[in-house]
Amino acid sequence: MNAFDEYFQAQTRRHFLGNAGVGFGAMALASMMGQDGLAKEKSHNPLAPRKPHYAAKAKNVIYLHMSGSPTQLELFDYKPVLKKHDGKVCPKEYLEGKRFAFIRPKANPLMMGPLFNFKQHGGGGTWMSELLPNLAGVADEMCVVRSMHTNQFNHSPAQLLLHTGDPRFGSPSMGSWVTYGLGSENENLPGFVVLASGGRTPSAGKSVWGSGYLPSLYQGTQCRTVGDPVLYLSNPKGLDRATRRRQLDALRDLNELQHRRVGDPETLSRIAQYELTYRMQTAAAEVMDISREPKKVLEMYGAKPGVESTADLKSIGDKPVAAADDPAMANNCLLARRLVESGVRFVQIFDWGWDHHGASQPEDMKTHLPVKARQIDRPIAALIRDLKQRGLLDETLVVWGGEFGRTPMRENRGGRYGKFVGRDHHPFAFTMWMAGGGIKGGMNFGTTDEIGYYPAENPMSVRDLQATILHLMGLNPHKFGVMRNGLNARLIGPTDEGKIRREILA
Amino acid sequence: MKCFVYLAAGVIGAVFAGPLSAEEIDFNRQIRPLLSKNCFACHGRDAKKREAKLRLDTLDGAIAKRDDGPAIVPGKSIASGLVARINSDDPDEKMPPADSGKTLTADEIKLLTQWIDAGAKYDTHWSFTKPVRPALPKVKNATWTKNSVDHFASARLEAKGLRPSAEADRHALIRRLSLDLTGLPPTPEQVAAYVTDKSPAAYEKLVDQLLASPHYGERWARMWMDLGRYADTQGYEKDNARTVWTWRDWLISALNDDMPYDQFTTEMIAGDLLPKATPSQVLATVFHRNTMTNTEGGTDDEEYRVAAIKDRIDTTGLVWLGLSVGCGKCHSHKYDPISQKEYYGLYAFFNQTADADRYNDAPRRALPSAFYYQKQAELLKQRTATRKKLAATKTPQAREAISKQIAELQKQLDQKAMAMKPPAVPIMKELPANRQRKTRLLVKGDFLNPADEVTAGVPSAFHPLPKDAKRDRLALARWLMDKENPLTARVAVNRIWARMFGVGLVETEEDFGTQGELPSHPQLLDWLAEEFRDTHKWSRKKLCKTIVMSATYRQSSHVTPELVKADPRNRLLSRGPRFRLEAEMIRDQALAVSGLLSRKMYGPPVMPLQPDGIWKTVYSTRRWVTSKGDDRHRRGLYTFAKRTSGYPSFLLFDGGSGETCMVRRIRTNTATAALVTLNDPVYTEAAQALARRIVSQGDGDTKKRAAYAWQLATGRPAKPAELARLAKLVDEQTAIYAKDKAAAKAMATVPLGAAPEGMDESVLAAWTVAAGVLLNLDETLTKG
Repeated sequence: MNAFDEYFQAQTRRHFLGNAGVGFGAMALASMMGQDGLAKEKSHNPLAPRKPHYAAKAKNVIYLHMSGSPTQLELFDYKPVLKKHDGKVCPKEYLEGKRFAFIRPKANPLMMGPLFNFKQHGGGGTWMSELLPNLAGVADEMCVVRSMHTNQFNHSPAQLLLHTGDPRFGSPSMGSWVTYGLGSENENLPGFVVLASGGRTPSAGKSVWGSGYLPSLYQGTQCRTVGDPVLYLSNPKGLDRATRRRQLDALRDLNELQHRRVGDPETLSRIAQYELTYRMQTAAAEVMDISREPKKVLEMYGAKPGVESTADLKSIGDKPVAAADDPAMANNCLLARRLVESGVRFVQIFDWGWDHHGASQPEDMKTHLPVKARQIDRPIAALIRDLKQRGLLDETLVVWGGEFGRTPMRENRGGRYGKFVGRDHHPFAFTMWMAGGGIKGGMNFGTTDEIGYYPAENPMSVRDLQATILHLMGLNPHKFGVMRNGLNARLIGPTDEGKIRREILA
Repeated sequence: MKCFVYLAAGVIGAVFAGPLSAEEIDFNRQIRPLLSKNCFACHGRDAKKREAKLRLDTLDGAIAKRDDGPAIVPGKSIASGLVARINSDDPDEKMPPADSGKTLTADEIKLLTQWIDAGAKYDTHWSFTKPVRPALPKVKNATWTKNSVDHFASARLEAKGLRPSAEADRHALIRRLSLDLTGLPPTPEQVAAYVTDKSPAAYEKLVDQLLASPHYGERWARMWMDLGRYADTQGYEKDNARTVWTWRDWLISALNDDMPYDQFTTEMIAGDLLPKATPSQVLATVFHRNTMTNTEGGTDDEEYRVAAIKDRIDTTGLVWLGLSVGCGKCHSHKYDPISQKEYYGLYAFFNQTADADRYNDAPRRALPSAFYYQKQAELLKQRTATRKKLAATKTPQAREAISKQIAELQKQLDQKAMAMKPPAVPIMKELPANRQRKTRLLVKGDFLNPADEVTAGVPSAFHPLPKDAKRDRLALARWLMDKENPLTARVAVNRIWARMFGVGLVETEEDFGTQGELPSHPQLLDWLAEEFRDTHKWSRKKLCKTIVMSATYRQSSHVTPELVKADPRNRLLSRGPRFRLEAEMIRDQALAVSGLLSRKMYGPPVMPLQPDGIWKTVYSTRRWVTSKGDDRHRRGLYTFAKRTSGYPSFLLFDGGSGETCMVRRIRTNTATAALVTLNDPVYTEAAQALARRIVSQGDGDTKKRAAYAWQLATGRPAKPAELARLAKLVDEQTAIYAKDKAAAKAMATVPLGAAPEGMDESVLAAWTVAAGVLLNLDETLTKG
């Protein structure tokens, strides 16, 4: 056994409580695994793939988060009864003791029926809005959950709860947990990639893809289809790849001399990380280059290589507005497929612009919601079809949704109704859907009451969602965590209220 | 592998041969961790979660009469229910139950059994009893010791059959000291002066110089900015700008003035409540106004006011007590002696300030910091100089002319003085008596679910407040600094130790409670704590000096295969510290060695180079506008800190977001961080500047230049093999760039700007590539 291995073996027990931890070199990190029942493997690479607790249904995740929270009542949750009540004063029992972001219960808000038409699609008879014609074509792959609920009604805490399991800052995001638990299949790429469209990142900022109390190497890496795909990936001007190689060769030789003199195993780890940057530069640039795709595929998604989102070019007030043919989402969906195909474990897509309060045009449900729907409809349907035709859908879990839902009442900001239409934040019931990796396709799970206010059958909480996703990845959601302040800190939070929803599993 | 587990946990790897006596089993080290981990969640302090009415965290609970016999009968494991249960094969009887996910190993069961047979002696958790100044251990290697620290370190090494490492050479020592005390590498002049200083007091002289450096305050202020969750924005969705940088200036000044830790604490927690509080004392209270403000539409201000108060309690607990009291928000702490009611007792201290999650962070007050005092001093100097000129002028005409000049100057100065009005910052301000809030326990921490009224008080497991004390923040601050407080001094010295050695004597700096790691050197920790409080009267500079004057600190950080085996993580202190620099230090160092660094102190935050588009997508109308002139090259702590979008290269090197109190930074070593120092324009610019600095030396001789460059980057002379390797790269690249003028131009000048007259761009470009190597050396990125 050489000194390197001995050092490695000695690193059997690590403790990293709080916002904390000490001396987590690459080797130490890899050896930290195993506290939570996960197989421990020796590797220089802290992101080396690791075996799950049990056989996984899904290997990868593509999570499509619609920041701002899309209206379930115009997209998935068809409520003919609400249509009948359109324009009537909302009954008191729905308002008393409730908290809304903008609706003032005392101002007698009015009920508002669905603004768009619905039809049933696929073998499961899935109700979907006319705004999503392409997605309707893949209804048989989707399991639509209409009974989602959360306990947060502001964007930032609701997003944090959804993605990190805690409405406050400081906890690791789902993608961090999954890459921490399972590593990643391609060591030349980041294991957890974040893609954003719509001109803005989520309300809660980078924390929704942060690593919280896990080491920072598990944080999401934001990638872009335009400009440097990964921060600092491109060489400085005037330094070509051959020069970089010579530079890294010199660096390695000098670091080896240093290691011979000083003997710190951490130096070897550093050498390995620098070599990785060299491979990552090629691998990431290649995988991010969607122009390599055939024309047919680009068209299927509506992707336009090299074209940046138009979102921030046409901002109104402080709200970014993008045209319906804005290619950012399409580019990102295509990129997501390329990434999971290359072995990236978790791809998180954030699309901004779904906060349709009706206070201004970019928040108008009548005119702006169709624009947003157009931006995502074709790309997401293409993503599912593309994954399927490549045999990747079985091992890739696709998740879609916002951080909460929207009210059956029309928003009456300031007590007045203007020319724009919208709905307020609604934590009590909303719709999400999943497809692929271990999910029953063509399924409709959970219902809401006749006006879509509360779940009626099979309510499913954000914690259930988290537990189910971890389970599909082969991680026991109740066991998987790290010791922190004497508790096993987990994605699903301290209590066991989060349940694996086996009803929706294939 | 088992024995490694024990070693790493600091538990003596006992060989379980025969019965052990009570003295041989250490309850705090060996037994409590087992009970705590496996039993206390259901049989601990939290009465609400307690199963079978059994508690095992106290002797009384463990030996209490039960229908099926006591859980523990001291001296008789055979009669103890606990022993029967942990050995049981019956799934209904077995403890801990299978569904808890917890298991005891055969060795652990044996240890528990032996402990009961030896009398089941309970002991108070080590950190909850006051430190007592320990006697210095006798050591064999007495000639090695330089001060008392070394007696403790040496005793531990001798017990393990190890010897300390040799003293590091002077080049290593000055770099280590300079980085630890000022956060900057030494200048070549400082290195030259120290390595040639023949005086026996050379080292101490250097230590004193560095402690007196104004950069000392900047280095330690950065740590306090992490602890105090400093940011230049309000947080949450909108994350709008907030002006609090004068508090950062306050930190730097207080640290440079070596303000005693008790005063520092009192001013930050309750400066506004001090009699005749000075502006500086009120400015200190921004500390607890660094909590986030949620200006998102429709948020309930009370909800986020409550969240801010909880943050203040959590932060106070972490920073001064090393305890995560936060568990008490929702339920009684399962492991440490803080009940839910006691948590709200602490809450009551903080519940009386006037702030309430308002958009403008009111209440605010305009308070000057060192930035203004400095400016004022400059103006006064100018005026004095002009007045002197006037006095020296004899002829009436000339006098008249100068008087006019003075009047004009005075006008300008007045205008400048007006422009210098300090900004209003959020401060702590107590509500008047008639508007004080009632504090109620919040069920499950929910602000909409208040229960019984609670009065301000401290947890009963600790020393009480003075009987006649008014129960306000000032009383709490004084309670924290009370001589009877078992934790404050230990936690403080441990934190400073950890910044210097990479790991605290208690590794879990944020958890000194029963779930935290045990100290590697308990007596050393207690000795330092006592020394800090009693001998040094809470002087942090003196504490730093005590640590760095020790032979323990001065050891070489070289590692041998034997040391890797015997002391893999240097928890036994068998060598000097060696670990990667913190995020800001890496950048500050690159700027310093390249000559770009601006040593300007204090003032509004700056926006150095960052990649385009980082802020484009964040929720903010504010734009990142790269600062001009030397503000581009200020030290990292002056960089604008936006909570939802931190400075990317700092985040990649494990810097925090400023959202919550950060006690330690987890050090990682990743490829994405390596890309920063390879490709970030900040580092390219530094490499270009360094190249120019190098090329201006050495009369065109590559090896001479390489020697100079190496010395600049690492602080030590290069070895011949190192020089040869670096020179080889430079020669190769010079030849290549000579053939590609366009590439050479880009490499030598983007983004730094046109090369100085007479410098060959291909040579500069080649040296820029080589400077990139130097800035990325493991040795450069590491304090060794």
